[in-house]
Amino acid sequence: MGNTDTLETSGFFRSDEEAVLKQVGKEALLEDLRWMLLIRNLEIRAESAYQQGKVGGFFHAYIGQEAVQTSILRVMGREQWYTTSYRCHALALLLGASPNEIMAEFYGRETGNAKGRGGSMHLFTDRLLGGHGIVGGQIPVATGAALTLKLQGNTEGVSVCFIGDGAVAQGAFHESLNIASLWDLPCIYVIENNQWGMGTAVGRAISVERIAEAKASGYNMQAYTFDGMDYFNCHAGFSHVFQEVRKTQRPVLVEVITERFRGHSISDPGLYRSKEDLQKVVKRDPIFRLRDKLMEAGVIDEEQFKSMDKEQKQICVDAMKFAEESPWPDPITLEEDVLAP
Amino acid sequence: MGTQKVELREALRQAIDEEMERDSAVFVMGEEVAEYNGAYKVTKGMLDKWGPERIRDTPIAELGFLGMGVGAAMTGMRPIVEVMSWNFSFVAADQIISNAAKMYYMSGNRFSVPMVIRGPNGAAAQVSSQHSHCVENLYGNLPGLIIVAPSNAYDAKGLLKSSIRNNNPVLFLENELDYGTAMEIPTEEYLVPIGKANVVRKGSDLTIVSHSRMVNLCANAAKELAKLGIQVELIDLRTIRPLDIATIAESVRHTNACVVVEEGHIFGGMGAEVGMQVMEHCFDYLDAPVERVCQKDTPMPYSKVLEKETMPTVERVVKAALKAKNRL
Repeated sequence: MGNTDTLETSGFFRSDEEAVLKQVGKEALLEDLRWMLLIRNLEIRAESAYQQGKVGGFFHAYIGQEAVQTSILRVMGREQWYTTSYRCHALALLLGASPNEIMAEFYGRETGNAKGRGGSMHLFTDRLLGGHGIVGGQIPVATGAALTLKLQGNTEGVSVCFIGDGAVAQGAFHESLNIASLWDLPCIYVIENNQWGMGTAVGRAISVERIAEAKASGYNMQAYTFDGMDYFNCHAGFSHVFQEVRKTQRPVLVEVITERFRGHSISDPGLYRSKEDLQKVVKRDPIFRLRDKLMEAGVIDEEQFKSMDKEQKQICVDAMKFAEESPWPDPITLEEDVLAP
Repeated sequence: MGTQKVELREALRQAIDEEMERDSAVFVMGEEVAEYNGAYKVTKGMLDKWGPERIRDTPIAELGFLGMGVGAAMTGMRPIVEVMSWNFSFVAADQIISNAAKMYYMSGNRFSVPMVIRGPNGAAAQVSSQHSHCVENLYGNLPGLIIVAPSNAYDAKGLLKSSIRNNNPVLFLENELDYGTAMEIPTEEYLVPIGKANVVRKGSDLTIVSHSRMVNLCANAAKELAKLGIQVELIDLRTIRPLDIATIAESVRHTNACVVVEEGHIFGGMGAEVGMQVMEHCFDYLDAPVERVCQKDTPMPYSKVLEKETMPTVERVVKAALKAKNRL
């Protein structure tokens, strides 16, 4: 039964890998492994482009956290409203932004996801309300999207708000959760606790452990904690939460315990974390964990995994070429679209 | 066309009511807007008519509910968010500045923010330092925002209707002391366009540019100046951003003199902006430097005597006018 014991002793939401495997199906799991590899490869390629001076500004990698958003998209699909922080590359990809347009946005080109205006922190799709650069600034926005669902009488949809552990300290978190609960809004707040708010360990910034469980009762909300390094646990947990929110039309607070493998941003060498600690973390790589389970289930072998990885890498190398060859934005367009027509 | 005599607060209420009738995406939220009938009674009776879904009382959490307005606007609604005072918008400044103002541009045109934020701006009577700020100079610095500041009931109604229909975040600045001012306005529906200043009074000798509550003060100053043989052309900006510099420049080119009057602080304010733009567009037409009359460089004091001292007065406007006409 894989790591069920670990889950129980860690106090994560109780889930059953075999049940998830059956429910999701081998095809979809392979597809999600492919998504996670695409996210990983896109960011690795973009980092190398950054080192070559092709990409500027801030760049916050999602590497290590891929299981979280990949599983939520599998559970809830692209029809929901999604909002996240500046660590937004994975969510944009999963919501249908192409590797080409994302890479072109990193490169600041006309063909970019936001026409070269947003950069790495501000990616959007028709259901992604941003990539937000101010810590916690996305929380009221996502709550407002949930209000729209309520006002429109939509009881099937939900608004999903991703925030980092650091954002829990912001006033926007408190104000939004209070109103969401008061007004019965279908909003799922997902705290991705990657252990660090920039270089400050979570324990030095947030006064409680098990953040969701500690905070939720103050808002009369349900709380859950998932293992963010485990696709299966996340999938099972988010499935439960999705059903619950649609049934109760009440907000829910989730914490996923995860780890980012990189620094806060590309300019952060991560000196606050020892090499030994990082090595321990990297051993829990969510991609390898999903791969190993799928190997154990006979869905994929080492060769097939390698070739899948290679394909995703090629897509991202091609995206770099696309970005490189894309035109720069025409300076004449600079002052367009400051106001909407 | 019939007319009705209404207070400014009723003109605003009619604008909201008519637009809610016209478009089911329009809704109101803010502190005390529903059961209390509005802190200044602008939304009086609206809860009874429209119900608690579309007239929503919020907790005292401006950052939360203003940001929710942004999110609702991005996803298909047209929120009208009332701030009990624009001074309270400062705790929500991140949502106005980082999200509302920038979203359409930053998202590569994916998400517009059709949202009106409205409430009283500037000083009332003796409410001291933290309740008396004019915000147009702060928010006016930001591309992506529309800022409207009517001086009378007619403009207030027509401009609020235009603001609700606009696809951008509109900061709608009212004034507490003006809510009870009555005026004849049409009974039939009308709009006042955003971005168009109004020449309130024609004159050949001096252009005075002002907005909001200071327009009436300038009208009184103009009467005093007429006695001194100076015919004032008084321009009510009505919209701060986008600024109708064309109307201002046209006036200054025939009066050859300009005074800017505002309730806000002098440093980096409307006087500085309009004065600079007048210089850019009308330098060769000016007989003297542009003068400005603003709130002095102090927080708003409580005492009546000190309050009067820091605010623009008719006397200060007359003095500035004489200077701009080289008569002082």
